[in-house]
Amino acid sequence: MKNWFKLISWIAVIMTGALLIYGIHDMPAWGDPNSPANAHVSPHYILEASEKTATPNIVSAVLADYRGYDTLGETTVIFTAAISCLFLLRRRGGKK
Amino acid sequence: MSEQFPALIIVVPLLGAFLTPIIGWRYRQLCRPWALMILAIPLCASCETLLEVVRTGPFSYNLGGWAPPWGIEYRVDYLSGLMLVLIAAIGLLAAFNAKPGITMDIRGKESQFYTLLLLQITGLLGIVITGDLFNVFVFLEISSLSGYGLIAHGEDGAPMATFNYIIIGTIGASFYLLGVGYLYMATGSLNIADLAAILPNLYHSKVILVGFAFFTTGVAIKMGLFPLHVWMPDAYTTAPGPVSTLIAPLMTKVAAYILIRIMFTLFQPEFSISVVPVATILGWMAVVAIIIGGIKALAQTDIKRMVTYIMIAEVGYIVMGISVMNRPGLTGAILHIVNDACMIFCLFLVIGAISYKGHGREIYHFQHLNKKMPFTMAAFVIVALSMCGIPPACGFFSKWYLIMGTIMAKQWIFSITLLGSSLVNGVLFFRIIEKAYLAPPEDGAHDHDPEEEDIVRDEAPASMLIPILITAAIIIILGPLSGKIIAAVIQHAVPAAF
Amino acid sequence: MLEYILAKYNFWIYVVLMMIGLYAMMGKRNLVKKLIGMNIFQTSIILFFVSIGVKKGGATVPIIMGDGHGHGQHLIQAADYLNPLPHVLMLTAIVVSIATTGVALATLILIYKRYHTLEEDEIMAIRKEASSYKTLG
Repeated sequence: MKNWFKLISWIAVIMTGALLIYGIHDMPAWGDPNSPANAHVSPHYILEASEKTATPNIVSAVLADYRGYDTLGETTVIFTAAISCLFLLRRRGGKK
Repeated sequence: MSEQFPALIIVVPLLGAFLTPIIGWRYRQLCRPWALMILAIPLCASCETLLEVVRTGPFSYNLGGWAPPWGIEYRVDYLSGLMLVLIAAIGLLAAFNAKPGITMDIRGKESQFYTLLLLQITGLLGIVITGDLFNVFVFLEISSLSGYGLIAHGEDGAPMATFNYIIIGTIGASFYLLGVGYLYMATGSLNIADLAAILPNLYHSKVILVGFAFFTTGVAIKMGLFPLHVWMPDAYTTAPGPVSTLIAPLMTKVAAYILIRIMFTLFQPEFSISVVPVATILGWMAVVAIIIGGIKALAQTDIKRMVTYIMIAEVGYIVMGISVMNRPGLTGAILHIVNDACMIFCLFLVIGAISYKGHGREIYHFQHLNKKMPFTMAAFVIVALSMCGIPPACGFFSKWYLIMGTIMAKQWIFSITLLGSSLVNGVLFFRIIEKAYLAPPEDGAHDHDPEEEDIVRDEAPASMLIPILITAAIIIILGPLSGKIIAAVIQHAVPAAF
Repeated sequence: MLEYILAKYNFWIYVVLMMIGLYAMMGKRNLVKKLIGMNIFQTSIILFFVSIGVKKGGATVPIIMGDGHGHGQHLIQAADYLNPLPHVLMLTAIVVSIATTGVALATLILIYKRYHTLEEDEIMAIRKEASSYKTLG
């Protein structure tokens, strides 16, 4: 039984690894300044963020201003995890 | 005001969830009316939004005023509007239904329960309405985390089932994030509409291919498509009654929505047919899902576990409708999302009512339920008719479109599987109906004291009965209305290339 | 061949890490080891994302140094600063990973209270015994 589990996990790991290595072929080289990821949306952030949001730290500007909604979602994630832990671990009749 | 509705749909339950622990700390009895009041607002707002989309077409809402792709946008179109109304309605009815089940399982912690319920609904609404890929991940995690917390509080095997669900669910969400990463590496954008414009030039790229594979696998894990469904039976069976009523109809359908978005809005349909034979693979996996789901459901005596295996087969229906890649198939799949959510919801409501009244969950103990709980069993019969695909219940219409789609694609094995599955559903439900309605009376009972052996009518409490009746009525009404729904909403949701 | 590997060596590293994490999640039978595998898996994805945003050739952190009064900044060029977007996304992903680990640990506490062991094989044995007990009675 134990060996069966290990066999299935080896097969899954090898298949996923092969798929990932297959994908490496077309990826841009590491640190290429003209890769699509560095050339499409982010130059706008670097050029405009400091004036439009009056923040020198561009990561904060994007995090709290351009994509502030994601940060709201992230705060909600922490809140959800806290309430889940409270829900699970409080013993009955703990408080009130 | 009405152009702010898309934001209201998310913000109101979110703020309500933040305030619920504060309210519950003082006045525990106030949590339930508060949650119901909060949930009524997204329902009205999403109905209004859907009507707006039907009147004037899809529209966007830019959060914070930043234009996409540099900011996040909400994109409400026909499919999103339909899903919003579905999620909001089922959320409200599930919250209404939750009260008796709570006093049984989770006494004393109502404020946290309602908080997690509101957060779950917020997460599901957020997935459906947003037009940004990373935002989908964040809201997927919100709804998953609240689901983990809610399920772990169930019966004996619940913590172990939850732990398995956490591990497998996190693999799914991480695969989705990996897919987003690959797409971002190849294009530089995260916005769905922007990507749909950039991607067609890159279909030959291996990075895009691998990204698509990870997207589909991650979503299939969340959806419970065979063979990645292994977390589903344990998690939904051991969850508390009101919890499985909320999560089970919605989570898989929202994951199916994400799959439709990826395959038809993000990537053009011909990607899934010609570049990668994903449609064929998904179709065959759906066939196996339907067959295995039916077989395993026949072997169960616990009704809740049986319904979970039926759910696995229903996911197979939806994926089969997506995989045939033609207009009736996709119409059937979207219609089946709506119908199946209502049917599974009603089934879980009925199961909750039956087990609340102390009759347990074994099928063979269900004698004489038609006398003890007549309205509940009447609703059960309606759902059974719909599952088997008998008009005028809504199940018939979605199955009709699915079968038309498979015939049009000349996949005869798919059609035979669909028909066979209806037969299996008939057997499954007839077992229960026979036990409940037609069981022979106790032996020698009526010769003796008639008052002693009289079967007392002991119907479910009102807060469980009202959602059951409403949902059963919706199942019957949705049937003949399917034509109108398809003409007004669904046919615009199907891409014009078909 | 060697340049091929060296040009993209960050991707090879993250693939190896990810496979270690995936194997730990699926193949190990101790629940805490599964949880650690989940953390490794998520960390490898975070590394992958952050490595997308690197720019060689003198790029520095994406903070624009002014002279303290908001004016007189040099001309900003996109090639001088790193890509900020992956960092933003990964801040959220790190938080999500921690939250999931927290809920998983709470669940593990519940499991331990009930079964007094954290090995999956022993837990399955206890549950099988309990369920066969049920069908007898």
